[in-house]
Amino acid sequence: MYGWIWRHLPGNALVRALISLILVLGVVFLLFQYVFPWAEPLLPFNDVTVDEGAARR
Amino acid sequence: MAATDDERESRPAAEAAEEAAPKAPEKGAERTVEEEAPEQPAESAESAEPAESAGEDGAAPRPRARGRRGLLAGAVSLFGEVLITVGVLMALFVVYSLYWTNVQANREAGRMTDDLRDSWENTPDDGKPRPVDIGDLKGGIGFLHVPAMEENILVRKGTATEDLNKGVAGYYTEPRKSAMPWDRRGNFTLAAHRDGHGAKFHDIHRIEEGDPIVFETKDRWFVYKTYAVLSETSKYNTGVLDDVPEESGKTKPGRYITLTTCTPMYTSRHRYVVWGELERVDRVDEERTPPPELS
Repeated sequence: MYGWIWRHLPGNALVRALISLILVLGVVFLLFQYVFPWAEPLLPFNDVTVDEGAARR
Repeated sequence: MAATDDERESRPAAEAAEEAAPKAPEKGAERTVEEEAPEQPAESAESAEPAESAGEDGAAPRPRARGRRGLLAGAVSLFGEVLITVGVLMALFVVYSLYWTNVQANREAGRMTDDLRDSWENTPDDGKPRPVDIGDLKGGIGFLHVPAMEENILVRKGTATEDLNKGVAGYYTEPRKSAMPWDRRGNFTLAAHRDGHGAKFHDIHRIEEGDPIVFETKDRWFVYKTYAVLSETSKYNTGVLDDVPEESGKTKPGRYITLTTCTPMYTSRHRYVVWGELERVDRVDEERTPPPELS
């Protein structure tokens, strides 16, 4: 998977490393900006109020 | 880094080697190469002639088996890469929820804190014993100070996730409506995050009986004293929000404060509750000198 990406990047090793870095940062940005905020309420970590089971949270 | 990449690079080449002549040695062959010719660097293994012949010596008679093994190796290493990726994703999620949400929430809470303090300063003081400016209710009603835990916690309306994620404490509107500190009777009920999103109630376990809890509005200091702690209860135990929270030992109406958050840390399995009772109300002076409990 990563080997395939690496081989399909243009340029020499240095250029490829730079592009890889940019790709990694882009993925992290997407995760922090969109994916994690979406996933977080679905996970049972941050529920702090008392409520009746059926009540909307 | 470079070594692993090169190793991966050679893998599909090995798959291709099934049809083409055994030009690129696969992993197994590479290992033999390294054993037999340790002076040969891994990168040159693909092109170097002596390395190739060395590899052929051992594996040349079974090119088909090599291809199948290469395929298997490819599948295994893909599986490995997926596992590593999942691990990195989970680590990133921890960084997100325990660090990044705090950064974001504190930024937002800081901005709203400035807004509220500015609005207090810019509201002319008409000298009336006004508990709070109604106009401030949207941005926040005041600040909670708990020396044992954290000070300057902005308090706003609502305990929905999107409210609490702004790095504030929220007063309950449901399932039971909170009383306000300036009401003659009732229970001022608050919730905030234990971890992430500002984690304003992170150190709630440090509050002990007798500790002060102070709520600051535009012109009043409401000084409460902790009288009961419930270190674990069901998340459906809405009775803790009652006007007279019987579980805390009270039987008569009074002016109470209730702090709720989740416990144990990093989960939402149970709820942690701290109760306080109003001791006195001080007027805020010109310099906003805090009550002795806070100094």
